[in-house]
Amino acid sequence: MAENDSTKNSVAPTLQVAKRLEKFKTTIFTQMSSLAIKHSAINLGQGSPNFDGPDFVKEAAIQAIRDGKNQYAPGCGVPDLNLAVAERFKKDTGLVVDPEKEVTVTSGCTQAIAATMLGLVNPGDEVIVFAPFYDSYEATLSMAGAVTKSITLRPPSFSAPIDELRSLVSKTTRAILLNTPHNPTGKMFTREELDAIASICIEHDVLVFSDEVYDKFAFEMDHISIASLPGMYERTVTLNSLGKTFSLTGWKIGWAIAPPQLTWGVRQAHSFLTFATATPLQHAAAAALLAPDSYFEELRRDYLAKKSILVEGLQSVGFKVFPSSGTYFVVVDHTPFGQENDVAFCEYLIKEVGVVAIPTSVFYLNPEEGKNLVRFTFCKDEQTLRNAVERMKEKLIVNTH
Amino acid sequence: MEKLSSVAKALEPSPIQQLSFLAQQCNAINLAEGFPDFVAPAHIKNAAVLAINSDFNQYRHVQGICDYVAQKMKEMHDMSIDPLTDIVICCGQSEAFAAAIFAIIDHGDEVIVFDPSYETYDTCIRLAGGVPVYVGLDPPYWTLDPYKLEKAFTDKTKAMVLNSPHNPTGKVFTKDELEAISVVCTRWDVLAVTDEVYEHITYDSRSHVSLASLPGMQSRTVITSSLSKTYSVTGWRVGWAIAPPRIASAIRNIHIRLTDSAPAPFQEAALAALRSPPSYFKTLRSDYESKRDCIFELLVKVGFKMVFKPQGSFFVFAELPETCYLSDIEFVEELIKQAGVVAVPGAGFFHGDGCCSRRYIRFAFCKSNETLTAAAAKINELAEGDGRLKIFEHGKLRVPT
Repeated sequence: MAENDSTKNSVAPTLQVAKRLEKFKTTIFTQMSSLAIKHSAINLGQGSPNFDGPDFVKEAAIQAIRDGKNQYAPGCGVPDLNLAVAERFKKDTGLVVDPEKEVTVTSGCTQAIAATMLGLVNPGDEVIVFAPFYDSYEATLSMAGAVTKSITLRPPSFSAPIDELRSLVSKTTRAILLNTPHNPTGKMFTREELDAIASICIEHDVLVFSDEVYDKFAFEMDHISIASLPGMYERTVTLNSLGKTFSLTGWKIGWAIAPPQLTWGVRQAHSFLTFATATPLQHAAAAALLAPDSYFEELRRDYLAKKSILVEGLQSVGFKVFPSSGTYFVVVDHTPFGQENDVAFCEYLIKEVGVVAIPTSVFYLNPEEGKNLVRFTFCKDEQTLRNAVERMKEKLIVNTH
Repeated sequence: MEKLSSVAKALEPSPIQQLSFLAQQCNAINLAEGFPDFVAPAHIKNAAVLAINSDFNQYRHVQGICDYVAQKMKEMHDMSIDPLTDIVICCGQSEAFAAAIFAIIDHGDEVIVFDPSYETYDTCIRLAGGVPVYVGLDPPYWTLDPYKLEKAFTDKTKAMVLNSPHNPTGKVFTKDELEAISVVCTRWDVLAVTDEVYEHITYDSRSHVSLASLPGMQSRTVITSSLSKTYSVTGWRVGWAIAPPRIASAIRNIHIRLTDSAPAPFQEAALAALRSPPSYFKTLRSDYESKRDCIFELLVKVGFKMVFKPQGSFFVFAELPETCYLSDIEFVEELIKQAGVVAVPGAGFFHGDGCCSRRYIRFAFCKSNETLTAAAAKINELAEGDGRLKIFEHGKLRVPT
């Protein structure tokens, strides 16, 4: 039988994708990764480690598979994992939450964000984000029909412009989307900033969606969950995941913690997005979250060492490196090298130097705001980081024309 | 503080999941939820274990899945699919379907769905702002009336959902019915989204025919399917969408923002699953066929009105006899309490006021022979001398002596 597409009588349908997609094409990560492979470049772009997760977690997953835990888990999570998430949250914030009613397990934090937006935001609602922001926020907000307003965190300190926030919040503001520690800048919101945001939210009855996936990568100060501030738990959805903390980014185990009335909305959307999350991996995640303090201390030490290799390297090459208190990212000003903008610089860096960074312009509503900045990650083994620094020292030349 | 989105407020928890809770509390034999209680195939579990140990644990896209899926579509349906552009790997068919709907449905678009249907389609369509329009299949054989179908189309109709083999009835759409569907889709220039998760579970030498394989349909169809039912790994969350390149690309862009990646080690294990020899599918089919025959005979014997024998899927949709005055929900509750066996009331699958919507019970037979035998024994205990259930004879609840 020949291709059945070439029926003479039927006209191929005009492409009919939904309007919500007009703005969204392939992500910058996919584009950069393809280019990187072509040029055998060292990838300090995408934020996934080139080393693997701890054995005890992998073994727990294997045991779960062998024990036959391979069928649908309850939609809101395997009870052991919900409990482990609640216990971890209590340890980290002092807040006591009900694992059954206030914890929802999702396919990664990305999906927790999608479920939160779709479950709690109405078309036309305003949501405020801090730019630069993780690129899936804009996409999922657009799917929920929200109006996205952004406030820019500016170098060198990336401090939160509270006055700007205060004047932007209005009757139509439904939520503020907070990401701390912050991707891509590495900024961590201080107690003062969070207090100010909290008082604005309480005054205007606004929700907070707090993406805290990098909470265990806090180097220069302690991570604070806004949900733990007075009056905030009842209006906050706290989002997190397993992947970054345990170097298992491909497992897609995430969660949302929120009071019952908000959890309800998250769960409804979640059950129609993915229905359930990978069962054996949830069992392993429960084991992971019970890791002793020493695991997290060692994690911080390892990453601090990686951070110094990268930061010192970037500085010696000639980048202006901005201070990053948390996450495993650092943002730098590339303009000493004379390229037109961040995308051009990244392309040049891949093709001529053999290193990948991510242009930050995609993380702003107005791309112009990011044209001087690019993001490097240090979630790679030390040798890879050293090799990347070597390549840059050899081939990157400061060009002030 | 009512902060739910209007869509979330309109949603209710899954009736199927709620019944599972009642069943658990009563320690009942679960013939409700559609997942196996027997072990997943060893060769596939071993592949997952190997993947975890070999460090396939970071964000991944396993192109091999696309290659095998394309190959299978060629073998089964003689369709030519480009594995590089036409296939999107998702977190289960659930996410593939959600992503497809979000990719093509704009606010106000109408989507035709056959009644009865799996509960998720309706809410997924509404979440995307679409309007489900129901076309009833005619009992007792669940035939498609092309005239009824034609009448449901308007100039707002954007898409049509087709689930074959069908949950809950077990119907496999015939070639004639598929042709009628393709004619009307082409005439109205409408997209089709299919759910083919039971594609390998058909009986009596009947073949599953994919709608997209009909002339003119490949260019306007999104096929969704997964590993779950075919390989008894419903908890692994690996599925896919197949569509013409531009629509596949839109689906991919949505998927990346919804979850970013399907669980990595299970993508790797999927290769082993998709490579299963023809004998695997033969055994799958014949095992399920004998389970079907057992349960069908049981239901006939105890007095259900069994006109239509399932042609595919692992569900049987049994009709309560006229002598039974209980509604479907009342009957299911009685069955749990009196026999300790749980099934699903059919009402949740109907969307309209059809006279038959309270008369059907869905039993799942994707269970081990031990479970099915035990369930049969318990049900038989409620039967009178002639083998029929007491409930059916007297039309009311059994009165304890």
